[in-house]
Amino acid sequence: MSVYQPRTVAQAIEDAAGSTKNGYRFVDENSDAEPFFSHGGVERASARFGGAMQAMGLKKGDRVALILPDNADFVFAFLGAVRAGIVPVPIYPPTGLGKLAGYLDNTLHIVERSGAKVLITSSEIKLMLGTIAQKAPALQKVVAVEPVRTAKEELKPAKVTLDDVCFLQFTSGSTSRPKGVTLTHANLAANVRSIMQLGLGVRDTIDSGVSWLPLYHDMGLIGFVIAPIYHKNTITFLPPLLFLKRPARWLDAISRHRGTVSFGPNFAYALCVKRIKESEMKGLDLSSWRVAGCGAEPIRAENLRAFAEKFSSVGFSEKAFVCCYGMAESTLAISFSKLGTGVNVDTVEGDKLWSAHKAEPAAEGSERAAPIVQCGGAFPDHDIQVFAPDDEEGKTPLGEREVGEIRLRGPSVMQGYWSEPDLTKRAFAGGWLRTGDLGYLANGLVHICGRSKEVIIVNGRNYYPQDLEWEAGGVTGVRKGNVIAFGTMKPTGDRERVVLVFETMVSGDEAINKLKGEVRTAVQQGIGLTIDDVVAVKVGVLPKTSSGKLQRGKARELYETGELYMRTSARDLDRLDTVKELAKSQLGYFRTALFGTKGED
Amino acid sequence: MQFSREKVRAELLVILGAHAQAGATVKDSSHLVGDLGIDSLGVMEVIADIEDKFHLQIPDEALRDVDTVESVIRSIEKRLENAGRLQG
Repeated sequence: MSVYQPRTVAQAIEDAAGSTKNGYRFVDENSDAEPFFSHGGVERASARFGGAMQAMGLKKGDRVALILPDNADFVFAFLGAVRAGIVPVPIYPPTGLGKLAGYLDNTLHIVERSGAKVLITSSEIKLMLGTIAQKAPALQKVVAVEPVRTAKEELKPAKVTLDDVCFLQFTSGSTSRPKGVTLTHANLAANVRSIMQLGLGVRDTIDSGVSWLPLYHDMGLIGFVIAPIYHKNTITFLPPLLFLKRPARWLDAISRHRGTVSFGPNFAYALCVKRIKESEMKGLDLSSWRVAGCGAEPIRAENLRAFAEKFSSVGFSEKAFVCCYGMAESTLAISFSKLGTGVNVDTVEGDKLWSAHKAEPAAEGSERAAPIVQCGGAFPDHDIQVFAPDDEEGKTPLGEREVGEIRLRGPSVMQGYWSEPDLTKRAFAGGWLRTGDLGYLANGLVHICGRSKEVIIVNGRNYYPQDLEWEAGGVTGVRKGNVIAFGTMKPTGDRERVVLVFETMVSGDEAINKLKGEVRTAVQQGIGLTIDDVVAVKVGVLPKTSSGKLQRGKARELYETGELYMRTSARDLDRLDTVKELAKSQLGYFRTALFGTKGED
Repeated sequence: MQFSREKVRAELLVILGAHAQAGATVKDSSHLVGDLGIDSLGVMEVIADIEDKFHLQIPDEALRDVDTVESVIRSIEKRLENAGRLQG
């Protein structure tokens, strides 16, 4: 085996250019044609985009914002910028049903904070963005992508080194405004090696990926655009919306192209179980699929098991599941469960988890048994330890099976947040990256229980909002997945009060009160916790991030200021705005509405 | 396959009824998200059902028509008409 030599992404693109058989394939919903670009073709197309950006006046180190809903546009523009040493800043496209005002506000924040000089987008989105250029001082122009596709500019050579910034990944935290995770080529080289060689045992040119994941998100971008270049793999990209409309198309693409590696969040596997009909399974052959990665949101073993059960008849092996833990601040991946072992669950005493911060293996038949999915151990050259969340120095790691904050160090860890010295400082404790996730190590393997910032502490006991929400979500009349629980010190300030807010279609005071009572009872019986305040709201009121994650911190803020009660549904608030803007543009209403359709914050 | 206006409306109400939250009444003026409680994933499901039922291919651009039940009816009728498959 040769000695590992880290390479820049720019170098990897050039190294892969000789490959004529492998490359990127772009599935288009409305056509049977699936345009294929060999890695040589990708190299040439990205050179044109990079050359065009240089011709726009962009120089090495300058930032360019990209809002490109078309997968091929995005890939070429992103890689072209990287090769020119220009720092791309991917931004998610506007959501159709959502609040346009909120989207514009967020986009403006990212453009301003990144100091992007140029923003490249489709001509349709350009219209929607309106006057954004006048509001961001550093932004010189907003450029439509269509003419760039056929640009003939040549890429002028730029020296790109491992220590140069490769791109900025803006993350929408559950509690704060997007922050730009700054990743260098060295970060990417280290994480790509961890993922591809050490984690998944990817074989150069042989393994073939299939992905519908949005490319403005780390899992789609790093996992399926950047990493495969290093190993000259073929990737088949599907539009994210196509997957949401017809989940069978994902599995169909794996089957037809003999895909070996594909990833999705937990919900994607659940969606396949729910939506794919028997008739759509005819002719499917998933036997080539050796790595079915699951990450980016809490993993529920029962969802994955149901998937394996349903699709085993068409060749899917449960052992293909790889449970993943990661975050943008660590480039992408932190740990993967061991290849070929499937879903491994550690069943612990739920009670002790909350009360004693201990993950004690559950006794057989224990009523409080809590299944915790195991996500593997640290990659070589990386360290994972668990600390008490208030251990600011990071000096005393907790012991085996003690629950605390997961912290990480190693070459995949970001340099910091772009232009955010204070937030960067707070992200680290004594050289360790604070993940904000609560969990424990058992035999060196990571187990995640929840987010530490959101843990509700009542009488010295920790409660995880996900668990309360899960119980409440099971009550008929409550919109499952649209429940938020949090703790608040207000209004009395003497102790943490537990609040649970849920969306419902039910109306009428009497019916609502009955429903609230049922929710209280469900949580009381399931978890043994009495909720102080149950709030029922209309559909669309709960705040969510661009990727559809519930914003618990934001919900608490709205509750504390009383605004939650005043909020009506997203459409009432912003309908006129949206209609006006949409009327002006030709933008596909949903092309861009990926995970969430409401409540952009 | 031909569809009358009455048929379009009736079939759409069946589709929406299957996706609306319990307790919601489907009316022409109902907003799919706000009134019927159909979330983003649900809307995609509705689109797939409409495509299957009416043998239409609905491009993403048309999804901006997804607002109220009435606007969806109009959108389907327009597409059927263009395809010469709307009766009356």
